[in-house]
Amino acid sequence: MTLSDETAAATKIFFREAIIRALQEEMQADPKLTLLGQDIGAFGGSYREFDGLFDAFGAERVRDMPVAEAAMVGIGVGAAAAGMRTLVSITYMDFLMLALDPLVNYAAKLRFKTAGQLRAPVVVKTTAGAKGQGVAHSQCIEAWLMAVPGLKVVAPSTPADAYGLLKTALREEGPVVYIDHKRLFPTAGHVPVKAACIPFGQALHVRSGSDVTLVSFSYMMTPTLQAAERLNAQGVSCDVIDLRSLAPLDMATICTSVKKTGVMVTVEEGQLTCGVGSEISFRLREMLDGVKIARIGAVAAPVSSNRVLEAASLPDADKIVTCVLTLLNGKGG
Amino acid sequence: MIYQLQVPGPVPDVEEVRILEWHGEVGRAFEPGELVVELETHKAIVEVRASKISVLRDILCAEGDWQKIGAALALFSDEPDEPIPDDAEQLTAMLVDFEIT
Amino acid sequence: MSAHELLHDMLLIRTFEQHLIKRRDHGFQLFSSGEEAVSVGLCSVLNRDDQLLCSGRAIGPALARGLEPGLVLAELLGKVAGPCRGRAGRGHMALPAQGFFGAHAVVGGNLTIAAGVALAMQSEGNQNLVACMFGDGACGAGALHETLNIAALWHLPLLLVCNNNQYSVSTPRAAALAPQKLSDLAVPFGMPALTVDGMDVTAVRDATREFSDHIRAGKGPAFLECISYRFTPHSTSARESRPTAEIEAIQALCPIVRLSSQMLMDGEISQADLDQMKKDVNAAVQAASVFAEAAAFPDPAEVLHDIV
Repeated sequence: MTLSDETAAATKIFFREAIIRALQEEMQADPKLTLLGQDIGAFGGSYREFDGLFDAFGAERVRDMPVAEAAMVGIGVGAAAAGMRTLVSITYMDFLMLALDPLVNYAAKLRFKTAGQLRAPVVVKTTAGAKGQGVAHSQCIEAWLMAVPGLKVVAPSTPADAYGLLKTALREEGPVVYIDHKRLFPTAGHVPVKAACIPFGQALHVRSGSDVTLVSFSYMMTPTLQAAERLNAQGVSCDVIDLRSLAPLDMATICTSVKKTGVMVTVEEGQLTCGVGSEISFRLREMLDGVKIARIGAVAAPVSSNRVLEAASLPDADKIVTCVLTLLNGKGG
Repeated sequence: MIYQLQVPGPVPDVEEVRILEWHGEVGRAFEPGELVVELETHKAIVEVRASKISVLRDILCAEGDWQKIGAALALFSDEPDEPIPDDAEQLTAMLVDFEIT
Repeated sequence: MSAHELLHDMLLIRTFEQHLIKRRDHGFQLFSSGEEAVSVGLCSVLNRDDQLLCSGRAIGPALARGLEPGLVLAELLGKVAGPCRGRAGRGHMALPAQGFFGAHAVVGGNLTIAAGVALAMQSEGNQNLVACMFGDGACGAGALHETLNIAALWHLPLLLVCNNNQYSVSTPRAAALAPQKLSDLAVPFGMPALTVDGMDVTAVRDATREFSDHIRAGKGPAFLECISYRFTPHSTSARESRPTAEIEAIQALCPIVRLSSQMLMDGEISQADLDQMKKDVNAAVQAASVFAEAAAFPDPAEVLHDIV
């Protein structure tokens, strides 16, 4: 695709605008779609990712809620089960813990336990990740959610994927957790002009290389791609995969890449224990023999609001480069 | 003297802005404190104001265009008819006041 | 609903549960015996298009809502003839097409869900309502506070029915909950709230009717506390924690005896008709048993059906 083709087919917008566009299009298409959350009305959302929707669709379809996460999700789930379609905004992923009961115990089980009589088409949209806000406003708990049968989990890293994945989420028949990252909101990127969904379970191959496969998602794609660039300058060629969808996982794309490179490093911002990387690594071991594997994630400590300690706890390009070189030199894996 | 108006910074978290609105066409003279251009970040508006008497000579980024922090937005001059040199990209940065709202 | 029908429905629940407990394959159950008046009084006022949600103590509510006893028994025994193909059991059975949105065995876990169902009904602009039954145990949960607040704020068509059977497993209500009356919990939210004798089916019915009129008129939610007593321990696997004397005193409050005695005294029913009603109910439960026994267990492959 040439630059002029790309410009013609896509328009550059802020990350939050990709979210607004997906919501606007889906709300127009489906009059039953209703948004619930804190500060999403006239205020437009903490990241202005709901800007304009209150004016366009009114207070009944863009509903401000009290600070009561269990009720936000519970009401969203109940309404969805009874024939509406809902998106519930939980500003910080840490606070989703307060609402796991309706999401995990009810929504994720509903289709199974009623033998298909009821389904809960609800999207829980939340924002993960560290950005100077401390121990209870920084966590990435997507791996917990991946372990729940009946839940789908997606986490875009670009405005285009935010748009396409959110649209798909809003057409699903069961519960979806859609995860943004605080550090993605200042970014902008090209989004196709033509409306289109991105299917779940399809990872994106974002950079081709032959020596090592780097697998990441969400904001961690930024340091991962920086590391790939630096490794390239040192003669290490990286194949980079953006998962986009965590449940379902696209193991086929990872497997194809690692067959070529023989080496995989996963990069996530959450905890390593029972993390996304652990899951991918073991599934890969079940598919391929003799692969070198390393995982990168947060250290086993709370994420402080202290700038020095926050940086010390999280992966960055330096740590990724070091990990890859150590693994390739045979000291890890 | 000819100056280059650049995207002012630093603005927290911001690498790139979108040009929202120019407040004047080429040829307009600005007084100190007058609003020249509004720039859009992911969640705020950056108001760029003239810090001295100067004339807008050329607009390098149209409304809706994107530009990085520190990159050129427009050319200004002290006098309305000073010739614009060919190496406009090398010009001195114009001092501006800016406010994030 | 006539007094005959109220009596019949309460008898059905009692007889059904007496049959179930005698079965060796009854599984883990929470019984409604002793508390029949709450479910029956409530359901006697519900319309076809209303929805009922209840806790894991679901046999009484399901039968009172009019689910076929054979379907209910099949569900409890894990047979595919159950409305949820035997997957849900007592704790989670549902038949929304017949107004039984279903049970949810997480204490207090159905409250916010019910408010969501009520929001969906409100958005459809009809006169239907959602009734949500929960125990006194759920009144200590934050979900109730959150639900009361939002239901009141949004005028949701939601009837909250607290079946206060006095105990959370072994913990007496007075040791767990500070308010004098549990209906007091709803008062600060500006909704009508009332405590009634949950062993008196007509009292439950009359209070439900008053509140349902209020809700159907678009005036928002209401809270009904029904004081009841369970005749059996918390569950089929829980130890009885109550003194014998207390249980004996409770048995004397039987809502079925209370209504039938009153009807006999008032000449509303003859002894012969009452005996016939008992025979009919017995026959219905026997038929349910035959139906459920004949039904199949699921194929193990069903464990992966209907997940995502």
